[in-house]
Amino acid sequence: MSKTLESARKVLLTILLALAIGAVFIIAFGENPFSAYIALVQGAFKGKLHLGTTLSTFTPLLLTSVAFCVAAEAGAFNVGVEGEVFLGGIVAAYLGVNWGFLPVPALMIVCFLGAMLVSAAWAFIPAVLRAYFNVSEVCTTILMNSVALQITSYLVSGPMSAGTANAQSKPVLVTLPQLMKPSNLNAGIFIAIIVVVLVIFMLYKTTLGFKIRAVGKNPSHADYVGISSKRIFITSMMISGMMGGIAGCIQVLGAYGYFLNNFAAGLGSNGMLAALIVRSNVLATPFMAFFLAILNSGAMGMQQATGVPKALVDTITAVFIIIATMDTLFEFKKNSTKKKAKKEVTEG
Amino acid sequence: MERQAAYVCLSLVIEKDEKMDEYVIEMKDIVKNFGTIQAVKNGQFTLKKGEIHSLIGENGAGKSTMMKLLYGMYPIDDGEIFVAGKKVEHLTPKSAISLGIGMVHQEFMLVNELRVVENIILGFEPTKGLTIDFDTARKNIRRYIEQYHLDVQMEKRVSQISVGEAQRVEIIKTLMHGAEIIILDEPTAVLTPQETKGLFRILHNLKEDGKSIVFISHKLNEVMEISDRISVMRQGNYMGTVDRDETSPVDLTKRMIGREVFLNVNRTETTPGEKILDVQDIWVSSHKETSKIRGLSLSVHAGEILGVAGIDGNGQSELVDAITGLRPVEKGKVILNGVDVTNKSPKKIRKAGLAHIPEDRNKRGLNRAMSISDNLSVVGIDENPYSSHMLLNRSAQHENAMEKIKEFDIRPADYTLPASSMSGGNAQKVVVAREVSLGKKLLIASQPTRGVDVGAIETIRNTIDKAKKQGAGVLLVSAELEEIMSLSDRIIVIHDGAITGELTAAEANETTMGLLMMGNAEEAKKEEGEAV
Repeated sequence: MSKTLESARKVLLTILLALAIGAVFIIAFGENPFSAYIALVQGAFKGKLHLGTTLSTFTPLLLTSVAFCVAAEAGAFNVGVEGEVFLGGIVAAYLGVNWGFLPVPALMIVCFLGAMLVSAAWAFIPAVLRAYFNVSEVCTTILMNSVALQITSYLVSGPMSAGTANAQSKPVLVTLPQLMKPSNLNAGIFIAIIVVVLVIFMLYKTTLGFKIRAVGKNPSHADYVGISSKRIFITSMMISGMMGGIAGCIQVLGAYGYFLNNFAAGLGSNGMLAALIVRSNVLATPFMAFFLAILNSGAMGMQQATGVPKALVDTITAVFIIIATMDTLFEFKKNSTKKKAKKEVTEG
Repeated sequence: MERQAAYVCLSLVIEKDEKMDEYVIEMKDIVKNFGTIQAVKNGQFTLKKGEIHSLIGENGAGKSTMMKLLYGMYPIDDGEIFVAGKKVEHLTPKSAISLGIGMVHQEFMLVNELRVVENIILGFEPTKGLTIDFDTARKNIRRYIEQYHLDVQMEKRVSQISVGEAQRVEIIKTLMHGAEIIILDEPTAVLTPQETKGLFRILHNLKEDGKSIVFISHKLNEVMEISDRISVMRQGNYMGTVDRDETSPVDLTKRMIGREVFLNVNRTETTPGEKILDVQDIWVSSHKETSKIRGLSLSVHAGEILGVAGIDGNGQSELVDAITGLRPVEKGKVILNGVDVTNKSPKKIRKAGLAHIPEDRNKRGLNRAMSISDNLSVVGIDENPYSSHMLLNRSAQHENAMEKIKEFDIRPADYTLPASSMSGGNAQKVVVAREVSLGKKLLIASQPTRGVDVGAIETIRNTIDKAKKQGAGVLLVSAELEEIMSLSDRIIVIHDGAITGELTAAEANETTMGLLMMGNAEEAKKEEGEAV
């Protein structure tokens, strides 16, 4: 328990330090950091529109960040969640536009299943390359992200195009119920939360979760006791891919109602950042995803109310990562108190 | 004037006399922590000129740490170190070397691709103009070879020489750097009995020449043979120093672990039953070499322990990996319990009746980041009682953990702690408890007591003997001759991937086995003949 407290304290200190460094930049822009941050918070929470926007930003981020964690539990560094979101989205759009012969509830389920299936298959490729041919999954997933982006971009500009000026698909025939209009928030947030809860339950309470964690912590031990590290690695990558697919599907059926070209840009990488800040701790990641969502949606409010550009938030996020990855940063204090204590003992 | 000169002379003599009594090394009240672990709580050590001083203790007692502190590899947290009567602070390996301290580490620090001569002069090359003066280097090295009988082949690459020879290279290196005090960290762990004898002769030569030697070990018979004085450590504490002539192995054991132990298990005589494991002419590649094992056959019957003796790295690991499905078999067959398990998955082989204590408990045997309870139930985690309907059954896991912790006296008893919080001995007990309690037909125990303290050794050996009594066939692979000889019913010796001899427990003695371990089958036979 004290360990959890300890890491919570660490994250809090990291947040404060990142905000402090951000404040230095704000001062450099000639603005008051306090009023800028207040504007940021107001931009994230004040009113239906702002709160709704924050929550709808949070929805895909929650899924992509936990998707990264699931793969990380098995020892994979899955940069490919973004590509999986794109593909999940395009599959949902295709089915949602063209499979109108199905009744609405069935079509909705089919959209989700199709998105999950294709994204899982997409994640299967780098997983197999890694498990059986020792090709770094980091490289392959980065490359496959561009491929996924180009495929979807081609489809919505060509065969699946709605013929509008923006590259986008025709509107889907089934949508998720909208909440807190006029924001983009939709019932997808509940789906995302349920999926994440199920995945966390899977990781800690089921045999499969045990195996995933065992493989992630020590693959040669897993092989020795009879858990095939290769198969489990692939399974966890596919679950991660599925979650990306769900995120894409929610964005298409819920947030937009059609496939908007390049809509997932940054969703995968921001989710990955949220996970990395808390070292892929699957219980802490949702909170970090929420925090990043606040930063992202509040940034617009900050830009409007003060002269601080939105891009500053990216700087703060980057500083965040750097600080969070510095393992020993907050250790110095502990050491000095320990030394003091020992000195007292020896002197006494 | 003359009188004054005489006076000076006299005082010099007196001073010299005093120096004789003084210690060349004195370590007082040493404390060293690694994070929250207290490696050394109260370390005391003194070294006289020209003595061989053994530092003994169980694994994790802090003996290696003490010497690494002396060599400046870590800074001390508290205490004082005196070298030749002068207090030294902020020791680094570099300053330790300049003070005449040399250390031969457990893991040799040699460059495999370079020749012996290059390794020895590395960092201290004599030069002639812009080139290295190899003639001078060779001349200097030859001096040490002759003076101390440190036989090394200077032109061979390190990868081509034996472990014993590599060790001599390390000793020459320390001497070249001007060492007067030589620390040897468990030097005999990797040697055959013959090589150990050779090392002891060298140590005597060095001692006669006035060098002071620290000998770290936990093998009492060797310590009794070589030492002048012996210091004992237990759990980071200094437990006293004794003269060799005033102590006995029993007394030392008591000091080391606080009670008497009987390491020689009373081997149970059983009548071997049906054939459990049949290895037929297998060929296996190692990580680096293709066909490390070339055509090896053996069989293990129910109710017997087959010991596999040999120097580390002669194919034992590859043999075990091949049988257990962790390394592909290129040719040949492995039959377990009547089922052909050649190149089957570890899971299938375990199903066919395998329990396996692996040689590397940190890499394979345990998942150090997971809890003790998880580690005790990880084999068969997807079956009853640990899982049902794809869900974990935590209470079954915990019940199992409590049972094993009690039966094997595993500490700490809190099974929710990660396996990394256990000492070597307890960690190994977890592996042994898990594997033996599976009650499988075949138990493979690979280096089951490596890096384990004396108390745990006793438990583990008795457990293995018990498994045999209950009808399991046991394949015991160990580099410890004494372990092989005290447990096995039959012994095979392997050298360079092939069996060089098979003996019964009654026939085995250290000399014969040592010769077989070096691949000298013929001489071993002669030796046996003479013994008869």
